[in-house]
Amino acid sequence: MTPVIRVAGLDKNYGTGANVVHAVADASFSLAENRIYGLLGRNGAGKTTLMQLLTGQEFATRGTIEVFGENPVENARVLEKVCFIKESQRYPDDFRVKHVLASAPWFFANWDHDFADELIERFRLPVTRRVKKLSRGQLSALGVIVGLASRAPLTFFDEPYLGLDAVARQLFYDVLLADFAEHPRTVVLSTHLIDEVSNLLEHVIVIDEGRILIDADADELRGSAVDVVGARTAVESFTAGREVLHRSALGGLATATVAGLDDTGRAAAREAGLELAPVSLQQLVVRTTTLDGSPAESTNADLTNGESA
Amino acid sequence: MSAVTSTPTATIPGGFSRVWRVVRLLTANPTTVITWPLAILGIIFVMNWAIWWLIYINLDSPQADDATDGIQFSGASTFIFVYMLVVAVQSINLSFPLALGFGATRRSFSLGSMLTFGMLSVFFASIMTLGAWVEGLTNGWGLRGSFFRTIYFAVDDNWAGQWWVFFCWFAFFSFVGMIFAAVFVRWKGFGLTTAFILLGVALLAGVAVLTFTDSWLAFWEGLGELGVLGISSSAFVIALLSVPLSHLLLRRATPRG
Repeated sequence: MTPVIRVAGLDKNYGTGANVVHAVADASFSLAENRIYGLLGRNGAGKTTLMQLLTGQEFATRGTIEVFGENPVENARVLEKVCFIKESQRYPDDFRVKHVLASAPWFFANWDHDFADELIERFRLPVTRRVKKLSRGQLSALGVIVGLASRAPLTFFDEPYLGLDAVARQLFYDVLLADFAEHPRTVVLSTHLIDEVSNLLEHVIVIDEGRILIDADADELRGSAVDVVGARTAVESFTAGREVLHRSALGGLATATVAGLDDTGRAAAREAGLELAPVSLQQLVVRTTTLDGSPAESTNADLTNGESA
Repeated sequence: MSAVTSTPTATIPGGFSRVWRVVRLLTANPTTVITWPLAILGIIFVMNWAIWWLIYINLDSPQADDATDGIQFSGASTFIFVYMLVVAVQSINLSFPLALGFGATRRSFSLGSMLTFGMLSVFFASIMTLGAWVEGLTNGWGLRGSFFRTIYFAVDDNWAGQWWVFFCWFAFFSFVGMIFAAVFVRWKGFGLTTAFILLGVALLAGVAVLTFTDSWLAFWEGLGELGVLGISSSAFVIALLSVPLSHLLLRRATPRG
């Protein structure tokens, strides 16, 4: 199957000389058709910049981007199939919600009016209110409705849950899954609320400081690391020579997140009297993106937080 | 491929419909581009009319003749040109990010903006010409007033010429507004400040040249020779040049939050 997006050696720098910021650094990946992708990372990691590059809104410093097989910049054939309502999307000052919803169908060939109406009701969006006067949550809901009802073959959702209450967030996840089942398309969801969407995502791309750290199937990723818990000395001797993503300790107890532990490794851990616990996608991402190059220092607070959570 | 085909065999709309939907986006709320400017024009007109009435009931005949000459120098109707400049600035600044989010190209956006403001210029020029015609017919709304046929815009007994003068100025203000908006979208406040400084320097240089070469008299004579029609047409030339320039600026612009 031909990928919908193919990116190779992509760099995006802002500024020059000593002040240069590498918003995206040497990114290479490809996204297949009709799947739901999670673009995960901390604030300022480069998620929005990457999505702007993929939609031709931003210009690459180096590298190649192919969307539907072509460079997206100023390419009507490509952009025709793309919907990208940014988290910080700006609207004309004089626009009310109804103006946004009236104009969107002119741009999206697959726009579903009934679906949009249904979503407006379910998200309780006031259609006659000025966009400027919407709350953060209502603004997010507007972006979500446009993204869903556009049924664009490639749809980006940029931190769509900001300001949404728990009910509205769940509604978004449920509606996205249900509609995706009926109308498969390629969805890229940028988020840092990873646990909430982890069941939605089929594939995960983790970006930090502009670099792609993880590019893996969600299932594969979930199984790729495991927490090893037990007496500090036993944990230390077991993890010697293994790839450890994260360590923490409290008194005589220690926890280590070990990557790529196969069946023999798991058996060895149990033999050493250690307990194995699954690592959530969120924990995995948190531990990968806080590393700073070397395995994290053990902090008691870390473990306490983990327990209380 | 899955059984349910997702990617529709998307027929790409033709070039014109891609431009036309930008026109529709820019005019999605007609209150801003049609209703408000007409309403404000109407209010200012009524206020002017009231002022003429107050003047004439207090003047005898020779004084009234003087007043008629003076009223010709009214700038009341110029607001609508400035209003169109503001609308153009707002449109480019705020509709540009939305159009790109909806998947429009910058090229369609530039062409759509040009078409929108071209059409609005035609519309408002026609309204103003109609006003000027009625003004002539009613001997200045019964009070020898000048609202549409002020000294700056009046062309004698030539309705096509009168329309052209209004059209040129609408195009000038809208398209020059587009340039400044494009500068802002591309380089934000810093770019706009720089642009104004450069413009100021250029104007100052022009003044200096005219002063040092003792050419002020020739300058005013030249303007006089051009006349209202000539000056307006020159403004239109600047408007025409603004269109490709604002597209050049937007071509590498990025919508930012």
